[in-house]
This record gives sequence, C-alpha cells and structure tokens, in this order.
Amino acid sequence: MKRTVILFSLLAMLGSMALAQTKIDFFEAFSTQRLQWIQDRAAEWNKQNPNYEIVVTPKASYREVLNAAVLGARQGNPPALVQLFEVGSQQAKDSGLFIPVGKIPGNFDTSDYIKPVLDYYTIDGTVNSIPFNSSNAVMFVNDAMMKKAGLDPANPPKTYSDVVNDCAALRAAGDTQDSCMTFPLHSWFFEQWMAEQNAPLVNNDNGRGGRATKVLLTSQPALNIVNWIKELNDKGYYTYTGKLENWNGSEAIFTEGKAMFHIDSTSEVNAITKAGKDGGWGATTAELPIADNAPREGVVIGGASLWIAKGVPQDVQQAARDFALYMTNTQNMISWHKLTGYFPVRISSVNQLDKEGWFRDNPNYAVAFQQLLNTKSSPATAGALMGPFPQVRTIIEEAIQKVLNGASVDSAMGQAEKLADQALQQYNSNFQ
Amino acid sequence: MAARTASAVAPVRSQRRPRTRWLIHILLILSCLIVTGPILFAIIKATQTTAQVLSPSMIPGTELWHNIKTAWQSADLGIYMRNSLIIAFAVTLGKTVLSLMAGMALVYFRIPFKPIVFGFILLTLMMPTQVLIVGLFDLVSKQAPPTWVALLSWITNPLAPTPYGFNWSNSYWAIIVPFLASATGVFLFRQHFMSIPLSLADAAKIDGAGPMRFLLSILVPMSTNTIGALAVIQFVYVWNQYLWPLVIIRRTDRQVVQVGLNLIISTGQDTEWGLVMAGAILALIPPLIVFMLLQEQFMRGFALSAEK
Amino acid sequence: MNEGTPVFKSWSTAWLLLLPTVVILVIFLYYPALQSFVLSTYRSNLILGTRRFIGLDNFRQLFTGILAPMYRQVVLQSIVFSASVVILGLIVSLAFAMLANQKVTGSRVYRLLLIWPFALSPAIAGTIFSFLFNPQVGEVNQVLSRVLGIAPRWLDNPLLAFGLVVGAAIWKELGYNVVFYLAALQNIPGELSEAAAIDGANAWQRFRAVTLPLLSPMTFFLVFTNLAYAFFEVFGLIDILTKGGPVGPSALHLDNAGLTTTMIYRLYQDGFGGNGSLGFAGAQGVILLLLVGLITVLQFRYGGRNVHYGGG
Repeated sequence: MKRTVILFSLLAMLGSMALAQTKIDFFEAFSTQRLQWIQDRAAEWNKQNPNYEIVVTPKASYREVLNAAVLGARQGNPPALVQLFEVGSQQAKDSGLFIPVGKIPGNFDTSDYIKPVLDYYTIDGTVNSIPFNSSNAVMFVNDAMMKKAGLDPANPPKTYSDVVNDCAALRAAGDTQDSCMTFPLHSWFFEQWMAEQNAPLVNNDNGRGGRATKVLLTSQPALNIVNWIKELNDKGYYTYTGKLENWNGSEAIFTEGKAMFHIDSTSEVNAITKAGKDGGWGATTAELPIADNAPREGVVIGGASLWIAKGVPQDVQQAARDFALYMTNTQNMISWHKLTGYFPVRISSVNQLDKEGWFRDNPNYAVAFQQLLNTKSSPATAGALMGPFPQVRTIIEEAIQKVLNGASVDSAMGQAEKLADQALQQYNSNFQ
Repeated sequence: MAARTASAVAPVRSQRRPRTRWLIHILLILSCLIVTGPILFAIIKATQTTAQVLSPSMIPGTELWHNIKTAWQSADLGIYMRNSLIIAFAVTLGKTVLSLMAGMALVYFRIPFKPIVFGFILLTLMMPTQVLIVGLFDLVSKQAPPTWVALLSWITNPLAPTPYGFNWSNSYWAIIVPFLASATGVFLFRQHFMSIPLSLADAAKIDGAGPMRFLLSILVPMSTNTIGALAVIQFVYVWNQYLWPLVIIRRTDRQVVQVGLNLIISTGQDTEWGLVMAGAILALIPPLIVFMLLQEQFMRGFALSAEK
Repeated sequence: MNEGTPVFKSWSTAWLLLLPTVVILVIFLYYPALQSFVLSTYRSNLILGTRRFIGLDNFRQLFTGILAPMYRQVVLQSIVFSASVVILGLIVSLAFAMLANQKVTGSRVYRLLLIWPFALSPAIAGTIFSFLFNPQVGEVNQVLSRVLGIAPRWLDNPLLAFGLVVGAAIWKELGYNVVFYLAALQNIPGELSEAAAIDGANAWQRFRAVTLPLLSPMTFFLVFTNLAYAFFEVFGLIDILTKGGPVGPSALHLDNAGLTTTMIYRLYQDGFGGNGSLGFAGAQGVILLLLVGLITVLQFRYGGRNVHYGGG
C-alpha cells in the first residue's frame, strides 16, 4: 500500500514537471463575444500544445493595449503577443520592443493574404505583424427613406455632389426632421477619403519611403474633404453626437431610423443590417461617396494586427506566432468574419465563402468586399505611417469640429497642419 | 449648548403649518428624484436588451437575470468584485489603524515642528494619482535591488530614474500598500481628538494608563463615529479606483471591479449596453451595503466643531 | 476644545505612532512626486523608451510657441470649471442639507436617498449621463421636446457640454457635501436662531447672521476638498462624457482646445493617451500642482479670516 502511494506521488510529480507550462500573455482589446471567440481559439490551441498556455487578457482599448505592452516591457516582462491598432504601427516599430514576424525563424507564408491588407503591415519590405481584424469604411443606406425622398436605393450617391443633391431631394420631399448624413467625427474617414483621391496624408511616400516630416493637411484633396463636410453641415444635412470618435452615437442615430445615409466600418454590417430588418426600413451598403473627379483609388485598411515581442525567448516567439497563425487560419477567419463582420484576410477564406454562396446571400458584405478588392496599390492606399498618429488624428478631428462650429476651412486646416507638423517634429526629435 | 433645548421661547419648528410641511416634502421629493434619477435610469436599462437601451424607451424589459448572469460569469465581474472586496477591506483597515495612530501622536504628544509634520502629511492631499503614476509604476513594478550596496546607491540618488522597485506587479500588494496612509484620516482623527475634553486624558494619565491603553480603551470607543465615517469614505474610494489598477495589474485574476466594468464597454461597436448597466448596478451594491451598515456613524462622524 | 496640549511625554512612542504613516507617504507619494518633477525636465517617451534632458523646454513649450494658446485655454477652463463646481456645488449642497435637516416624517429616508450617489464611480456616472443627455435619443431631450419643444444639443454645443460636465461633477459630489453640511447644521444650537427671531430678524437675515457664520469652518473644509475633487478627480467623468471636447466657439477665441478639457485631462492625454510624452505630461503636472497649491494658500489666507469657530 505504502509503495503504491509513493509510486503514485512520484508519477504525479514527474507528470506535473513535464507539463510545466510557459505562459504566453496575449493582450487584446476586445471584450464579451469577440473575447469569447478568441478565448475559445486559445483553449483549442492550448490543448494541442501542452507545453504552452496562451493567457488572454482583455484591455479597455487599443491605446490601453499599447500602454500595457510597453509598461510590461518596462518592468522586464513584456507580453509575448499583442494586438495593436493600425495607427500604432510606426510607434511599435520604433519602440524596438517587437520583432517583425517575418524575421522569426520558421515558416511564415504570406502568399495567402489579401494584398491591401498585407501592404499596410509591410514596412521596408518586411512583414511586421500578422493581420487579424481588418475593416474598411462603407456607406449604409436607409432604403425606405431614400424611396420616400423619391430616390432609388439601388442607385446610391457616388460623389460628394451626388450626396448633396440627394440630401436636397430629401428636404424637398418634405422630410425636415431626419438627418441626411451621419458619421462619427473620426479621422479614419478623412484618411479613407484622402486615399480615394490618391493623396498621401504625410510626405515621404506616406511615411513608407522614409520617416514622415510633414502632414499634408492643406493640400487640395484635404480641403476638398473638409469643404464638403462643411457644406453638408451648413445646409443642415449632417449630424453627429458632438463627441469625437463616437461610433456608437452615430450608429444609434442611423439604427433608430433618423438618418438616410450613414458611413461606418464594415465590422458593423451585421448589426446595422439586422437593425434595418427589425426596423422595417432595410439597410443596404454602398461604396464610399468620394470627391468629384477623384480616381477612386481605393480604401485604407483599418483595424488591428498581431505583434510579437522581442524580449521573450525564441521558442516563445515561435509559439506565439504559431498561435496567431492558427487563430487566423482559413477556417477560423471564416468563422471570425461571420461572427464579427471583419474581413477574412485570407484569399482562401474569401474563395471558400464565395463557394458557399455567402456573398450572394449577404449582398451588403459583397459591396464592402468589392471596394477592398478593387483597391489599387499605391502609397496613398497603403495607409500613412507616422509616429504621433493618435495625436494627429485628434488634431484633424478638432480642426473639422472647428469648421463645423463656424471657422473657415483654410484657417482651421492651416492651424491643424502647423500643430501636426509640430507633433511630428517632437516625435522625430526623440531620434536625434 | 445644544443640551439646553428646553428654552423659554416656544419652539417655532414643531408648530409648522401644514402648508409649509407639504412644501418641504415636495421639495425633498423633487431633490431626491434629481439625485437618484440617474440610478433609477440605470436600473431600468439593466433590464433591457442592447437595442432597447440605445433607444429612449424607459419601459422595463425582461433581460435582467440574463444580463446579471452574463456580467457575473462571462465578463468575470465576480472575480473583479472579489478582488476589490479583499483590497477594499485591507486598505480600509490599514488606513484606519495608521490614521488613528498618527492622529493620536499629533494631539497627545509633544513633537518638534508639529505644524510642519502635520502640513507634510496634509500636503499629500494635493498629489493626484495621474501626476504620480509614472514614478509610482516604476517604484512598484521594477525588480528589487540585488545587493545592499545597490539599495544604498538608490537611496542616496533620489533624483535618478527609479532603478529598482518592489516587484509587486499584478499582486494585491501593489494596490494595498501605497494607499495605507491617509491624510484625510489623519486630519479627521486629529480634529475629533481635539474635540475630546482634555480632562479625560489627564484622568487616564493619573490612573497610570500608558498611551496605548489610552488609545485602545478610551479613544477608540469614543471615536466609533469617526471610524465608521472614515471607513465608508475609504471603502468607496478604493472601490472606485480605476487608473492605478489599470496600469499595475496585468491579468484578469487580480483585476479590480472598475477596470473590469470598463472592459464590458467594448472596443468594437458591439457593446452590450444592457450588460454594462447590469454590471454597474451590481458594482454599486457593496458600497451601498457598507454605507447602509455604517449610516449612523457616517452621518454623525463629521462634526468638525463642538462635539456631540 | 483641546488645543493639543501634550499629555504624554514619550518622544519615541510619538515617532513610532507617526512612522508608518510618514514612511508610506514618503515612499509612495513624495518619491514618485519627486520623480515626476524631475521627469518634467526631460523629453521622455513612454513607447519609445527614450529619455533626454532638455531643461525647461517642456515648460517653454507650454507657455510660448505653438501649443501655448491651447494650454492657456486649458488652464483658464480648469479654473472656471473648478470655481463653478465648488461654488455652485456648495450652494446646492447646502440647500439640500437644509432641506434634509428639517424635522419632517421620513427625513431619515430622504437623507439616505440624497447622499448615496457619491458611491457611484465617475466612469459609470459618465456613462449614464451620456445616455440620458444624448441629443438625439436621450431621455432628457425626449421629455424636453415634448414639454417645452426644445432639444438642446447637450454634447454638441461646447457651452452646453461644459455646463453638462459641471452639472454631472456637482451631482456626483452632492452626497459627500450634503453629509458634511448636515452634520454641521445639526451642530448649530437652535436657540441662537430663535433668539434672532425674537429680535425681529426674518428667515434670510437669520440665515446670514447666524447659520452661515456657524457653518464657515465646514464651508472652508468643503471648499478645500471640492477644489481637489474638481481639479484632480473629474478625469473619469470627462473621459466618458465628452472626451475633452467639443472644441470651443471660435468667436470667443476658445477654439484651441476642447472646451471640457481640464488640466488633468490634458495631462493624461499627453502622457497615456497614445503619445507617451511623459516629460511633457510631467511638466503639466508640476504646473497643476503649483496652481492648486497657490489657490489653497490663497484660500487659507483669505478664507481663514472669515471662519468663525465656536458656537457654544
């Protein structure tokens, strides 16, 4: 009896030693349902890889994820896997805390990724991070309201002038209560409209040919955008909640049926389509309306990608990459897309969905997808790269807000350009 | 003083005319509505689905149980509240003990430069966490000094960037220890002790009681109101802490309730607002319980001038 | 009142009693504060991990140069904001406290209901208010548009947004202030007021001559704590409700920053809001502390003269 006990406890001890797991911290910005999906994938991977354990920790926002990762590195304990927003890319690269995923020894095949997505996260020819949740801007249309205004929902406005004309039609048809256009006051849309005009946001090939030193906020394309927003606002067509970057607020205005057009992220297609169905007015998607005479160059990827820390052992880096690739493999990307509405960034995923008839059954997604796949490759559509991107976004948003409050476009954008250039200069001075 | 209520003049108040009484009631009800309105709003919204919450509807829905259960389990609110409870009790206890001791020292002992010492303590009321956060983070999370020499060189070089720390990252210690001292507590206890007649202390001294016995068997029993009042304030303060735990706690298993609650407000636009409201109501319950248990003390513990 | 005449003579016991408090304060408050002061003379980026001495450059940037108009506006807004929160807040709280002090049936319940909101966290208070005051679909505007036919743009219009944040900040602190005032009111002997009534003073005169002066120690204390609250702790509320915006009206030359951006909010934005400019944030922290310190000193100097102790 005694011998059995000793033998048993020895075995148990050996067993637990063999299962000594290395914890891999994964900091990400989603909560509730999307977090649950990620945790499920982590559990699956953990079972197949008993030597490691992915520990998923949600943080309050993308900024919090970056702060937490940096703070972790500061105390000598960086999280191995981090979900960083797209505009944090330059900061992440400059921080020296992350290793480009292309440079981790081992197999990393990039041929399956959709080109515009891969382009965004490729800096100086090296792929820095693994694309995860990507989205674009797309316009939503309230079908019933368009019909009431005497317009055809199958023919949504394609240019700025078209939008203004359609709004005038709405008012002429007697509707003075509802708004015509609503979108969150977010610099992301500004950036999309710059890309559509094939205009870079910063110099040096949009920050990709060399470190950006100037923000091009007084270029004609930039002024076109703000002039249009001003026109919409002055004529009473545009509304928002007053708070910058308030996605929920503007979406609520549209889903409550109080606006004819709404510009939002493709990750909201599910929610808004459902709201349109429940409300009885029907929501369809359309390409972004762009500046008159713009070449419709394409849209810029939004969202986040997965970065791997430099300050962890190589085997942990490889394990982290392995999990990231598992989480974003063909099947999982399809399930992620169906759950959230973010693009399935793999070509194989898109093909399979197409074969299933997914795009036929969900035409709202088809439009968003076409917009992405039609994007021409150029520095403008690859997306801007700059260090103080979050700060510059706030500067742009506040400038537009000033214009909405009555300031002149030229003075507001001129001032914004000075402030943004100064922010760039401050950031770059860290490297002298 | 207040003891002489049986004055010669006919007290005006108890003969208040019914009209004035009604007016007071109405004003009070209105005030209470303004003050509690937002919470009633949250309670009703906690029963609705997300779509209903975003609409202006104030009709109670049927989702209350579902929202509470999801908040407790999937959103880990149970874990966060457990952590907050542990920390809140520890900090409240610690602050009370430390402040009692300091208050007593300031009132019943002779200390050189006493006003300066008192000012030194009070000055910390003007040091908000946001300003301290970077230094505090480094101090709490960096590795401990490896040798005594390292420790000495650190102490003699306070202006250099913090080289070492307590290595308490992601632990209860990190949220408890830095907040064990309380300038508010010292101030209130000092104020309270100063309003206790000197004769009591003299009598104790004559009886041969040492300072500790005086503290434990006379001062503390006389200070239950202040202790209770302070406990409520400190509990609420710790319970509502957001910025410091956000920065110093890495993983879910040690995170506190306010940070956890904020996580339910999602990054994407798929926030389940009914869940948020339910979580908010749940998170409100422990401070309310503490408040109701200590209500008497709380109401009585804040007399700054003449004692009761 | 015991003016603190020493009863016990043992110095060692005294220091032993003070030691834990002083040690904790020095290590965990004074030392980080010192670090922050030092950091304000560096250019230090959180994300890049860089750190370079630049002397007073951060301060120079705040007061001259391209960011100066923004910072001037932020400081001005903070002062106006704090003054509003303190003055209006104390007036409202005193009114509520006097109401709650009346001897009517159910006063206990009324008191409980008036006091408890202070247990709410700033973030949750902000979330609830942002729902209630949403210009399109918020309940407040639903009611107002039906009753008065107006739907003010609470979060759109900078001045209204400012007022809303002030109101929310006052609302959150009401419970705290009411408790203190209630305690002070209950300590005022009734005969003084009645004696004044016999002398022919009406309600307002009685209030001014008797109640207010007797409340002055409490008012003094509450001004101090409310100032600290308004300058330091309203951060969470602003972050959720307005994120520091919207940009003020150009006509009033207030368009260099969001109208609800106070110094503590700006400080956090620069440090942890994605830029990681720790030194710059540190400099703002220094200025904030100096400003509040100055106001406090003024309060003690001027206010101290108007405080009447005693009352029995």
